[in-house]
Amino acid sequence: MEIDLADVTPLLTWMLGPNWAEGRLFHPLAFTLFILLVCGGLVWAIARSRKGTGSVGRGAALTIGGVSAAVIVIVALAVLVWKLLSLGKTQQIAWTVPLAESAEKFANNWLEILQWLLGPDWRQGALYQWCMVVFFAAAAVFAISWLIATIRRGPGAALQTAGRAIGECVLDVVRISPRRVAALAWLGIKESIRRRVIVVFLLFVVILLFAGWFLDPESVDPARLYLSFVLSITKYLVILLVLFLSALSLPADIKSHTLYTIVTKPVRSSEVVLGRIAGFAAVASCLLLIMAAISYFFVLAGLAHTHQIKAEDVEVVGFADGKPTELRGHTTLDHHHRHKLVVYPSGEGRVEMEQGHWHNLKGDWSDLLAEQPPETAFQLGQPKGMLEARVPIYGKIRFLDSKGKPTEKGINVGDEWTYRSYIGGGAEAAAIWTFDGVDEERFPAGLPVELNLGVFRTHKGDIEQGVLGSLWVRNPLAPEDEKPKLVRVFESKEFQTDSQFIPREFLAGDKTVDLFKDIVSDGKIEIWLRCDSRAQFLGVAQADMYLRATDAWFWWNFVKGYIGIWLLALLVIGMGVLFSTFLSAPIAALATAGALLGGLFHDFMTRLAMHETYGGGPTESFLRIVTQDNVVSELKPGLQTTVVQTLDQPLEIGLRIIAALLPDVSRFGAFSNLVASGFNIPGDTIMTYACRTFAYLLPMFVAGYLCLKNREVAQQ
Amino acid sequence: MQSEAIIETRNLTKIYRDFWGRQKVRALKALDLEIRRGEIFGLLGPNGSGKTTTIKLILGLLFPTAGQALVFGRDAREVTKNERIGYLPEESYLYRFLNAEETLDFYGRLFDMPRAVRRQRVADLIEMVGLDWAKRRQLKEYSKGMTRRIGLAQALINDPELILLDEPTTGLDPIGTREMKDLIIKLRDEGKTVLMCSHLLADVQDVCDRIAILYQGELKEMGRVDDLLKVQDVTEFRVAGLSAVAQEEIKQAIERSNGHLLNVGNPTATLEDLFLKIIRESKEHPGRRVRGVEEKT
Repeated sequence: MEIDLADVTPLLTWMLGPNWAEGRLFHPLAFTLFILLVCGGLVWAIARSRKGTGSVGRGAALTIGGVSAAVIVIVALAVLVWKLLSLGKTQQIAWTVPLAESAEKFANNWLEILQWLLGPDWRQGALYQWCMVVFFAAAAVFAISWLIATIRRGPGAALQTAGRAIGECVLDVVRISPRRVAALAWLGIKESIRRRVIVVFLLFVVILLFAGWFLDPESVDPARLYLSFVLSITKYLVILLVLFLSALSLPADIKSHTLYTIVTKPVRSSEVVLGRIAGFAAVASCLLLIMAAISYFFVLAGLAHTHQIKAEDVEVVGFADGKPTELRGHTTLDHHHRHKLVVYPSGEGRVEMEQGHWHNLKGDWSDLLAEQPPETAFQLGQPKGMLEARVPIYGKIRFLDSKGKPTEKGINVGDEWTYRSYIGGGAEAAAIWTFDGVDEERFPAGLPVELNLGVFRTHKGDIEQGVLGSLWVRNPLAPEDEKPKLVRVFESKEFQTDSQFIPREFLAGDKTVDLFKDIVSDGKIEIWLRCDSRAQFLGVAQADMYLRATDAWFWWNFVKGYIGIWLLALLVIGMGVLFSTFLSAPIAALATAGALLGGLFHDFMTRLAMHETYGGGPTESFLRIVTQDNVVSELKPGLQTTVVQTLDQPLEIGLRIIAALLPDVSRFGAFSNLVASGFNIPGDTIMTYACRTFAYLLPMFVAGYLCLKNREVAQQ
Repeated sequence: MQSEAIIETRNLTKIYRDFWGRQKVRALKALDLEIRRGEIFGLLGPNGSGKTTTIKLILGLLFPTAGQALVFGRDAREVTKNERIGYLPEESYLYRFLNAEETLDFYGRLFDMPRAVRRQRVADLIEMVGLDWAKRRQLKEYSKGMTRRIGLAQALINDPELILLDEPTTGLDPIGTREMKDLIIKLRDEGKTVLMCSHLLADVQDVCDRIAILYQGELKEMGRVDDLLKVQDVTEFRVAGLSAVAQEEIKQAIERSNGHLLNVGNPTATLEDLFLKIIRESKEHPGRRVRGVEEKT
């Protein structure tokens, strides 16, 4: 019996797709395979950790582990190759361009990092400032210890003790044995597994499985929703886990006396602290790696969908010679939304953006015009423009008032106070951005501009139509009296990013202007924004307009988001281990959580300490609450005011010291926001924060070591 | 010639204080000790007499309030001394989620021992303490005696010169106790120094060369066991195959020289000896044993 391939082809296409990665089977299969592998590995790990040898022999265990690892690597490589190939296909092997650009950026990033570390003058560099802080902190600790020792034993003996202590410290740090640290780290990992790391992981999987119940499918921006969801739950779960692991471990060992058998071996306190940090860091890294991989597939699978174009949804709006020339309509309703679509007489067509994405048609748009009435349903491809890592190039903003005179800010319309200011319509008022680094190589076709504008209407006007704005360009190095050239007028969109394009060549009056020959000078260009609707206002801030360079790889940006969480986890581990060297288990956990919360309010604390908030310092604010006094008005001069303000002074100094010591946790969290909003996290930002993390970890390690060294571990 | 001092304490004092620095307990008062190479030294005393505190001070687990503890001539807080020390704590404070092999391997790594050496040493020690059959089981499944054995093995992982044993025979059955005591003597014969503390007097008497008796943190007596236990004004003969006539003659000779005869009789073996003999015989001849004591009655 012969099988007619034509019968099977549609089914195969449906299952496997025109290319296998787009088929219906790919995502669910890949996701299930991955989950099965990971869960199988975990069950095996639990069995082993519970029974010692477990029912699986060493050889079998190694084989299972090896095969799982190999499969994971192969799947990951296959996805990567597919991603590269598909990118290459759509962009004519253009993926080599981001690669080259990445290499260049990487080199530039290092230069920027060095600049940040060493400064234009070494005294302004971050490294110098860090050294000074560490030096003064160490000096303060030394002075206080020496004072205490002097009171106890007299100045000579105290100095001798201090000298010996410093010598020992140097030895303890220099003579750290990697083998001992590795052994202690291994113990930390074993202990973490015993302390139910797996439960946290399973919780994560369960939350993902039931995510569909609470992720709003009709969201305006599902990509953002999905991304912020996976990044947030990973962040909270991992941070909570490492907080408890790191803060409870050492006190538990001291309480159960297991530490006795360790510190009576030639183990230095420095090795105990470093081993713990390394062990928990390894646990957090592995967990994050697995969570990131699962999250990535979860997001891809959750957002993947297509639509169809059916005859009943399309309306012919233009005819010529009895044939349709223009179509308008919408796609089928899939994934809780449909897209408007239009086919032009030229045979071109497009699907409008909805929920932050659009689709390409599989096939030719002109086919829609040819078939009348269309009998078959036309298939759209996977969503485009959803998972992005935009690379914005920001400019510097300045303003012109309604008479065209330079002014510091736009108008305050009473809507937003500090972030945005407004430019009025139908006048000379303008917001002008000057961009640097604009060249032909980077933007060969023209400048993609993205805008996030605020709109303020003084009258309703035509509510169906957006407030009009216009974009103009000008050479910043031209004489002052040279006027800008109009590029385009557009309808502003509120509450969403508006993409505009300044083409390489455009008509200004009756003359064709070439952007790079006539306008850009020395890599600089001015882009002017004006409001064209009379008596309406457009609100702008410096970051509201940016040029969009070639996008970075989304998956790499996603990884960078997880690197942010990893750095935060390292900080928490450092804090937890430090506190656990001198506090009991519950107090150490509370102290770590406190430091973390304090770090979240770092900005507020700094502003409070620097008198930049309303209502004065802590005591003054309390008085205002009690007396129900307005926060803005000055307190009446008198004894009461003098007392509260005097009381506030030491509190503010304390706050300033705490703020200076605590890491700014909220900024580490901001990485996730960037990924979810579809912006690339610049490489130098990651490197800067990595430096900051290690700048915190090093003193935390030394402080933890000193605390443990001077602690009587057998003292109950 | 006196051999070198391995442990030396000078005026060693420990006062436990509470959070506010107020004195809670004076655990050790001005202890002066000297323990020399190659001897088994026993610290004796009732509960709370300061034995364990002394050991912890010598190990650097506690810091002295006054005085000094020197080990191998160095301050007890120095970490490098631990390379030559083995310590068996009062209860075997080991990680219960590791198995015997992992435990010993872990402690071996803490001594920076290379993998091959470690592997060999772990296998030897597990065989020595007789846990070969249970080496892959997690310690939480071990009986008290087994935990004690693996605790001893971890104390010997580095082939130490000085071994500190805190209540080494607690929790062991008579056979285990005997083996432990034999092992302690064997270690001494290999030239190692042993410091043990115990309140099981028979054990101390069996193995220790010298002892110190502590009471309420103070040293009350110190010296060689033989000397301390010798009853100066009593003489003991142990004779085999003596006839009744000869016994009578000896009694008369004692009376003639104005001696005071305290007791004549057959010596009794210790319960330990009896127990070990029965077990040994049972091993050699499995099956129903003819009970000697009942037969006679």
